[in-house]
Amino acid sequence: MIAAQDTRTRDNALTLVSVGLFCVFLWWVPNNLDGYKLRIINLIAINAILGLSLNLIYGMTGMFSLGHAGFMAIGAYVSALLVLTPEQKVQMWILEPIAPWLANIHTPFIASLLAAGVIAAFFGWLISLPILRLGGDYLGIATLGFSEIIRILITNFTPITNGSLGLKGIPSHTTLWMSYGCLAIFLLCMVRLMRSNFGNVLRAVRDDEIAARTMGIDTFKMRVLAFTLGCFGGGVGGALMGNLITTIDPKMFMITQTYSLLMIVVVGGLGSITGSIVGSILVTTMLEWLRIVENPVTIGTFEIPGIPGMRMVIFSLLLIAVIIFRREGIMGMREFSWSWLLGLGRKRGGAAK
Amino acid sequence: MRKLVLALVVCLMATGAAFAADDVIKIGVFNCLTGQNAFGGQLELEGTQLAQKEIPEVLGKKIELVIVDNKSDKVEAANAVTRLIERDKVNAIIGTYGSSLAMAGGEVAEKAGVPVMGTSCTNPLVTQGKQYYFRACFIDPFQGAGAAAYAYRDLGFKKAALLIDVANDYSVGLGNFFKQNFTKLGGEIVSEMKYQSGDQDFTAQLTELISKKPDIVFLPAYFAEGAIVLKQAKELGAEFRFMGGDAMDNPEVVTLGGDAVEGFLHTTFAYDPSMPNMNPVAQKFTENWKKAFPGKEPNVNAALGYDSYILIVDAIKRAGSADPKAIRDALEQTKDVPTVTGMTTLNATHDAEKELGIVEIRDGKKQFIGTVTP
Repeated sequence: MIAAQDTRTRDNALTLVSVGLFCVFLWWVPNNLDGYKLRIINLIAINAILGLSLNLIYGMTGMFSLGHAGFMAIGAYVSALLVLTPEQKVQMWILEPIAPWLANIHTPFIASLLAAGVIAAFFGWLISLPILRLGGDYLGIATLGFSEIIRILITNFTPITNGSLGLKGIPSHTTLWMSYGCLAIFLLCMVRLMRSNFGNVLRAVRDDEIAARTMGIDTFKMRVLAFTLGCFGGGVGGALMGNLITTIDPKMFMITQTYSLLMIVVVGGLGSITGSIVGSILVTTMLEWLRIVENPVTIGTFEIPGIPGMRMVIFSLLLIAVIIFRREGIMGMREFSWSWLLGLGRKRGGAAK
Repeated sequence: MRKLVLALVVCLMATGAAFAADDVIKIGVFNCLTGQNAFGGQLELEGTQLAQKEIPEVLGKKIELVIVDNKSDKVEAANAVTRLIERDKVNAIIGTYGSSLAMAGGEVAEKAGVPVMGTSCTNPLVTQGKQYYFRACFIDPFQGAGAAAYAYRDLGFKKAALLIDVANDYSVGLGNFFKQNFTKLGGEIVSEMKYQSGDQDFTAQLTELISKKPDIVFLPAYFAEGAIVLKQAKELGAEFRFMGGDAMDNPEVVTLGGDAVEGFLHTTFAYDPSMPNMNPVAQKFTENWKKAFPGKEPNVNAALGYDSYILIVDAIKRAGSADPKAIRDALEQTKDVPTVTGMTTLNATHDAEKELGIVEIRDGKKQFIGTVTP
């Protein structure tokens, strides 16, 4: 029998140790793994941030949003425009000259990340005021529409965004430390948030809005708040993504981008922070790992040519399997805890004896 | 069940790890084999594969193609190139259809110092400031200038209009360079209309265009939308002619547009199966293609996929080594290499300089009517 106090001390110690171990891992990785694996590990963190922010909107507060790609686009563009050097900008705008006020703005990366988040959150807030009066599927359609509007505006404001030509040569600021640092901050905020009363309020709004209102919760305000916070995450994630790939264009932020985030959230488990992390690890690594099914296979002297697109077929089958056998996603609404992990170990160990 | 899955996984991993010996030269191909650009990417890959079958060896070493799909997606394109370089350790890379994908992949290759030969990425930004990116195609400014020169000088048209897909970097770029050159020559742009990729109804833009009475409308569209535009223009009784870019060089244009595409002009690379006097490389390419893919017409994309391979092999030969840096240096010196799309020289900005072909659709067939230099 362990007292509650002891459990908490043990959990804190375990968390500290694992964070330390993870830091060692991050320090070890760049010198020991090739660039390909590095890139995937980096992408996992970015996808996790994006997944978490969408989960805050959809999973925690129950607002079906299909607009995340739009907020990613805002974040990616804001950050890119801030970190590009004035010389690069002059070179790149080959169709129409760049807006003069924009040409000479240049900020450090961290500032651009914050700006990306804040501006995305601002647009999120602005959009949420009219559309969060809708609910359910209607909200999905409205957010989808706004995300398309954002993309089309970016396509057409050539003096600011370089239109459909896109931007390139963005310095690759997204190092492992940067992306995992952002993820850690984000994760910490999310966990604190969901454990606080605010988290309970959001869950109440999700589960039964009318009941929540009867309890005196200003549900509209809460939904706006959650949506804006989610958009902040979307903006930061988009900015990290842009700085990782070093080039962005409006076509990157089509509805398919939202779908792949939605996939991470749903596979991991709607409403579970752990789920979004697990989902992003699974989806990101599986998509790359499954490339081996597209390679030509040689069995003895017999050669089977690779079929492009095969991995998407298998990936879809895996997704269908998850939906059939675990409709609530891998984690469901559960969260990771040390007691659960230790309990698991004990159960397994007990069975083995 | 679990054992079966495990066995399968082990099998897959084993086949993934089974790689060829050291004395091969690996050329990576990253192209859009699935997704929205799959049509072009697939043809380019087949062109490259055909070339590899013809020239399977260089410097006494076997050449192996390592093919990865980029799903017409930027993140995937960067991943694909990283995979080719880090995991497969390729000596050079070929790809891709779609300039934005080339830009994403190019950044990775630049950092790793592996040369890339672009197939049909025509946006000037792709090679701008890059040491390791080259391309087998000419760029949008060159094509726009050529189209303007042909319309103004050879056809004697003085009034032109534009119909541009604003969501497409290729269309915006090409349209802009046509406009610049046409006005420079002394012509007048009477109207500039816009649409978005995926649009189906162009009657509003066409009605506006008809009211402005241009001699010719420049339509730098992809073939799917382009064919619909031509169809609707005919239904509305438009009397002006249309001219397009190399993206309209697709057998589907005639299939989709029917008799509405009659008289449609487009600029393209100097290759077409209907060409009267083909150069020897093009002849060989056409023959071998027809043998390898009976019932499928070769087009410019296939030719560029083929040419990219030839240019890289030529560079390896001249370098006398398959070291990526040596290949890059040799590529920079590429001069007058005979390829399917004419003599290819790579200029200071790593873009191909070659003749521009003009094609007209007559009696439901593409007719190659000549070349033009801007």
